[in-house]
Amino acid sequence: MRKYLARRLLLFVPTLLGASILIFVLMRLVPGDIAEILVYQTGTESSAVQEKQIQQIREELGLDRPIVVQYVAWLGNALRGDFGYSYTQRRPVTDILKERFPRSMELAFLTLVVAVLWAIPLGVVSAVRQNTWADYTVRLVSISGLSLPIFFTGVLILYGLVRFFQYLPPLEFVAFVDNPAENLKQLIWPTLAQAYYISAPIMRLTRSQMLEVIRHDYVRTARAKGLGERAVVYRHALRNSLLPVITFIGWWGGRLLGGIVIMEIIFAIPGMGTALVQAVSYRDYPTVQAIIFVMALVYLTINLLVDLAYAWLDPRIRYA
Amino acid sequence: MARRLELTIGMVQEAGLAPERVGRARGLLRALSWFAARQPLGAIGGVIVLALIATAILAPQLAPHGAKDAQFTQYLPPSAEFPMGTDHIGRDILSRVIWGARLSLYVGLVSVAFGVTLGALWGIITAYFGGWADGASQRAVDALMALPPIVLALSLMAALGQSVNNVIMALAILLTPTAARTMRSVALSIKESPYVEAARAAGCSHWRVVFRHVLPNSVATYIVLFTVNIAYAIVVEAALSFLGLGAPPDEPSWGGMLTAGTQAIETAPWMIFFPGLAISLTVFGLNLLGDSIRDLTDPRLRGGLG
Repeated sequence: MRKYLARRLLLFVPTLLGASILIFVLMRLVPGDIAEILVYQTGTESSAVQEKQIQQIREELGLDRPIVVQYVAWLGNALRGDFGYSYTQRRPVTDILKERFPRSMELAFLTLVVAVLWAIPLGVVSAVRQNTWADYTVRLVSISGLSLPIFFTGVLILYGLVRFFQYLPPLEFVAFVDNPAENLKQLIWPTLAQAYYISAPIMRLTRSQMLEVIRHDYVRTARAKGLGERAVVYRHALRNSLLPVITFIGWWGGRLLGGIVIMEIIFAIPGMGTALVQAVSYRDYPTVQAIIFVMALVYLTINLLVDLAYAWLDPRIRYA
Repeated sequence: MARRLELTIGMVQEAGLAPERVGRARGLLRALSWFAARQPLGAIGGVIVLALIATAILAPQLAPHGAKDAQFTQYLPPSAEFPMGTDHIGRDILSRVIWGARLSLYVGLVSVAFGVTLGALWGIITAYFGGWADGASQRAVDALMALPPIVLALSLMAALGQSVNNVIMALAILLTPTAARTMRSVALSIKESPYVEAARAAGCSHWRVVFRHVLPNSVATYIVLFTVNIAYAIVVEAALSFLGLGAPPDEPSWGGMLTAGTQAIETAPWMIFFPGLAISLTVFGLNLLGDSIRDLTDPRLRGGLG
C-alpha cells in the first residue's frame, strides 16, 4: 500500500508539470500575443506609436524573453499563488480564482452527491427486479440521460423554468456562507440538470455490476445461511459491485468539470467556467492559463483520490 | 453444333457466375438480418445513422433554402412554409438543421479519422519499439489527459481561433491521446504473441512486423474506437459551438443554433427544440450502433445480461 501510494503520488507532480507546459506552449502558439491584442483593441494611435507600445508592453510582461525563461518565471510565480494580471477584468488573476473557485467546486460537489445518491439505489432496484417495469423505467431513464447532450438538458430545464415558473436567472451570486437557502436555490437547477446526465452511466454500471455479483457463489451462500434479502443485497452484493463504480466516477471527473462550464453558462452562475469562456473569447491569456491549470489540478486530484479509495477498498490491491 | 456449344457455355456461365452473385447478395442480406436479430437496438441505431448520412449527402436537395440565407421574417413560429420556424435573423431553421447534419457528420468523421488514426499509429509504434520514446510519449499522453476534455478543447480553440477546420483540428488533438493509449495496450499484447516471434525468426524487419502483423491484428479495436468516438466528436463540436467558441455563428452548427435559441428562450422556443432533437437523435443512433458493434467484437459480452 505504501509503495503504491508513493508511486501514485510521484506520478502526480510530473503529470501536472507536463500539463502546465502544454497549456503554456498552447497559449504561445496564438497568432498575436497579448501585447498586440491590448494595443489593437484599445489604441487609436498611429501604427508607429502602436509598434512602440507593443514593444513596451512586451518588455514589461517579459514576453521578449525566451519561452523557457518565461515558463520558469510563470511557474515560480504560480507556485507562490501569483497567476499574473487579467487585463480584461483589471485585477490579479488570483483574485478571480479566489472568487470563482469555491462556487464551481460547490456546484461540482452537489452534482456528484445528488447523482450518486439517486443513481446507486435506482441501479440496485433495477438489478434486483430485473425485467420488471421498475427495471424498464430505470433503463429508459438512464438511456435517455445518456443520449441527451448535457447542454440540451440544461436548456430544456431552463425553458421549463422560464415558461412555467417565471424563472429569472440570478443577478448576483449568493455564497453559501452568507445565505445557505438562497445559495442552494440558485444552484439547485444546474445541479439537477447535470446530475441527471452524470447519473445515467452510474446507474447502468451499478445495475450491470449487481447483476454479475448477485450470481456469485458467496451471495448464494449468504442466502443459504438464511440471511434476509436486505442484508444479502446491501451487505454482500452492493459492496462488491461498487468498486468499478468508484473508478468510473473518477473517470467521469473530467466530464463533470466540463459539464460545470456548460451549466454555469446556461444558468448564469459566475464560476470558473463562465470566467474561462469569457477569458477565451476576449483572449485574456493569463486568466485562461490559470483557470486551466487549476482545473487540471482538480482533475488530477480527483483521479488520485479515486485511485487511493480504490486501493483502500479492494484488499487485493491494498495487500499486494 | 456451334449453337449447342454456345448454349453450353451460356449454361456454364449461368451455373458458374449467377449462383455466386445470388449467394453474395443473400450473404449480405443474411449478415444484415443476423445483425438485426442479434442486436435489435443496434439495427435501430443503424437505421438512424443511415438516415443521418442520407440527410447529410442530400442536403442540397432536401433543404428548401440555403443554410445562411437570412431573407425571411424573424422569429416566425413553425408553419407550413417554415416547418421549424425561423430564427433571430430570419433564417429557415429546417434548412439549417438539414445542413447541420452535413456539418456535424463532416466534423465528426474527419476529426475522428485524423485523431484516431494518428493516435493508433502513435500507440502501436511506440508500444512496439518501446524504450525512451515510449516513456516520453506516455508522459505526453498523461499531460494531454490531465485536462478535462471540454477544457482542453476550449484552450485549443483559444489558441487556434474560431473556424470549422480548427474545430476539427482541436477534436483530433483531443481524440489522439486516448486512442494512442488504447492501441498501445493492444499492440503490447500482440507484440508478445508467438506469431510475431515467428515472423521475427523468419527474418522479417521490425517495420514489416509492425505493418504486416501488428497493424492488421489491431484493426478490430481501431474500428470500435472509430465508431464510438464519432458520437463523442459530434457532441463536443456542438458543445464548443454552444459555448460560442466552435464553428463561427453563421455556420449551421446544431450547438450554435441552440445558443441562439437560448437568447430567445421565451419568445421562440422552437429555436432550441429542433436543433436539440437533431443532436439527441444523432447521438442516440450512433451510441446504439457503437454499443452493438462493441458487443459483437467483445466475446465476453455476447449473450450478456446487460
